[in-house]
Amino acid sequence: MRRLFKLALQKPEMAAGSLLVLLVIMFQVRSDGIFLSYDNLRGILGFLPEMGLVAIGVTLLMIAGEFDLSVGSVFALSPMTMAVLMTMGWGFWPALLVGLLFAAAVGLFNGWVTIQFDIPSFITTLGMMFMARSMTVVVSGGFPPRPDFKLIPTELFVAYVGPGQMFRASFVWFVVIAIIIHILLSRTNFGNWVRATGGFLPAARGMGIPTARVKLACFVICSVLAGFAGVIQVLRLGSPLPSIGQGYELQAVAAAVIGGTSLSGGIGSVIGGVIGALLIRVIDNGMVMSQINSNWFQFAVGALTIFAVVGNAWLRKRGRAMKVETER
Amino acid sequence: MKLGKLALVVGLLSGTSAYAEPLNIVFTVHSGASNTFWQAVQKGYEDACGKLEANCQMVYVQTDGSAQEQVSNMEAAIARKPDALITSIVDNNAFDDVIKRARDAGIIVIAANVDDLEGAAGNARQAFIGQGFVPAGHSLAAAQWKNFPTTGPIHVLVGVSAPGQNWSEQRALGVTNFLDEQIAAYPDLNITYEKLDSGTDLATTSDRVGAYLSAHPETNAYFDTGFWHAGVARVLADRGVAPGKVLLGGFDLVPEVLDQMKLGYVQVQVDQQPYMQGFMPVMEVYLAKTVGLAPSDIDTGQGIVTPEMVDAIMDLSAKGLR
Repeated sequence: MRRLFKLALQKPEMAAGSLLVLLVIMFQVRSDGIFLSYDNLRGILGFLPEMGLVAIGVTLLMIAGEFDLSVGSVFALSPMTMAVLMTMGWGFWPALLVGLLFAAAVGLFNGWVTIQFDIPSFITTLGMMFMARSMTVVVSGGFPPRPDFKLIPTELFVAYVGPGQMFRASFVWFVVIAIIIHILLSRTNFGNWVRATGGFLPAARGMGIPTARVKLACFVICSVLAGFAGVIQVLRLGSPLPSIGQGYELQAVAAAVIGGTSLSGGIGSVIGGVIGALLIRVIDNGMVMSQINSNWFQFAVGALTIFAVVGNAWLRKRGRAMKVETER
Repeated sequence: MKLGKLALVVGLLSGTSAYAEPLNIVFTVHSGASNTFWQAVQKGYEDACGKLEANCQMVYVQTDGSAQEQVSNMEAAIARKPDALITSIVDNNAFDDVIKRARDAGIIVIAANVDDLEGAAGNARQAFIGQGFVPAGHSLAAAQWKNFPTTGPIHVLVGVSAPGQNWSEQRALGVTNFLDEQIAAYPDLNITYEKLDSGTDLATTSDRVGAYLSAHPETNAYFDTGFWHAGVARVLADRGVAPGKVLLGGFDLVPEVLDQMKLGYVQVQVDQQPYMQGFMPVMEVYLAKTVGLAPSDIDTGQGIVTPEMVDAIMDLSAKGLR
């Protein structure tokens, strides 16, 4: 039992998970039971897949030891490309494919520049953040295109599904993708390579791991997930505005870190990133429900981010220090 | 005033008294390029510059709403000694010094879109071309009031899209001023209101206001200080709430809002004519340089748009003219 407790404490997502449970209870009480109401849960779960997919990609990349600050811009670029192509007469599926290929190309470029010139990905992707946002405005001419949404099979992406119509189809996409990335990270050689590459690069290279290709793959996955998340949001809100996704890059990094992903790479989990994204949504939503003065919103998100990371470090330390009897 | 000035400009443009050297004009704004609203301002600005064959540049900030970045852009513009600097003034103090330096260097300075809260007394800018935000907020609330229930209690949510920024705070103030007047005039209606940091993103606004509506199902109306209530309309539709049960109103004509007006979820919208906010400052610069007319204030309007006007406006909005 004690051994299990020690293992649990050392899980990187433990602090965020505990905090999430505490906050849900607190907001439920403070909102007189409305926080977990049907309408509100539908709202939170409708937005979660978009932020969650971005957070999963960023988490994977951070475990590989890199950052991507361009995800917010790619979030807008992919759907904008898709929408513009559709107004030019393209069908939905080819337009979607090109939109996602744009995202993949951005990821590939980010990775190639970072690895080829051995510069911090923070810098490469910061530059790409501006470039991709600018491309979004250029592609659209500044005005949102108006594709015919009747030609889009929105039911595959944003229609309400499941018991009580609680979830959108996007939630199913989100869960399936999260499971795939989780399996990729925890059950395959690729996952081991990602952790080794992010954990200690020289050793990973010494072991013959193709670290450059591993990082490139993570950059591309991260970018494509951001682009796909953007497409989902545009289909949900029916509006390919060039401004969508602004600030999501920092929220995604915050989600990953809150969920226990190490800023220096090697440590982290998909479930942690998902919990981090959910925690941010819960805080934002719960503050409104609890009638807390809105001027404190950003303070709360910031403070809880610090709290979660400090809590994570403390729990892990306690876990390591905990003595358990060994079998004789 | 507006028509007289426009007629004079058209007369001058059609005559032979064109300004000998091409004018150099810089327009600095507090927004990022991805804000749809500003693209309409830019279109008006570029069209006007095209007519005058002026050298014009529009400079956006990288961080939406960053006054400090905008001031840096203004300083860079002044170093090039343009004939005129057009700028939005989103802070009451941050721009005072740079505007004074521009004026001292002989540069015409015109405020567009957002002005100092103290108006002409606030800094050395020569004119303001844009919407009076407090009156616009007041007009919006007054127009929507006609759709309010005649019996109380009445509860209203006012979304402040960008807390701390003049344009958003003043529009909200206009709305709450009107509500305060109604509270005093109709004490029996038991009118209450609350303000919320609603965000400048369709997804964020729809999530926050959606949460608020869950907690306060008694809410009768939501006012947004931008156009992000289009997202709230989607939330209401998703929840099966009939159009008009929660009244929605806000500012600026973008296609998303017009779509929701057609569906009946948005009842009232205020149009500040962004195309004119880009076009007219250039014309004032031209008049100042050619015939020495002093730049003067232009109120670009508090035009109330209602659903029956949407079809006529939709095409113009998509082209960035409304």
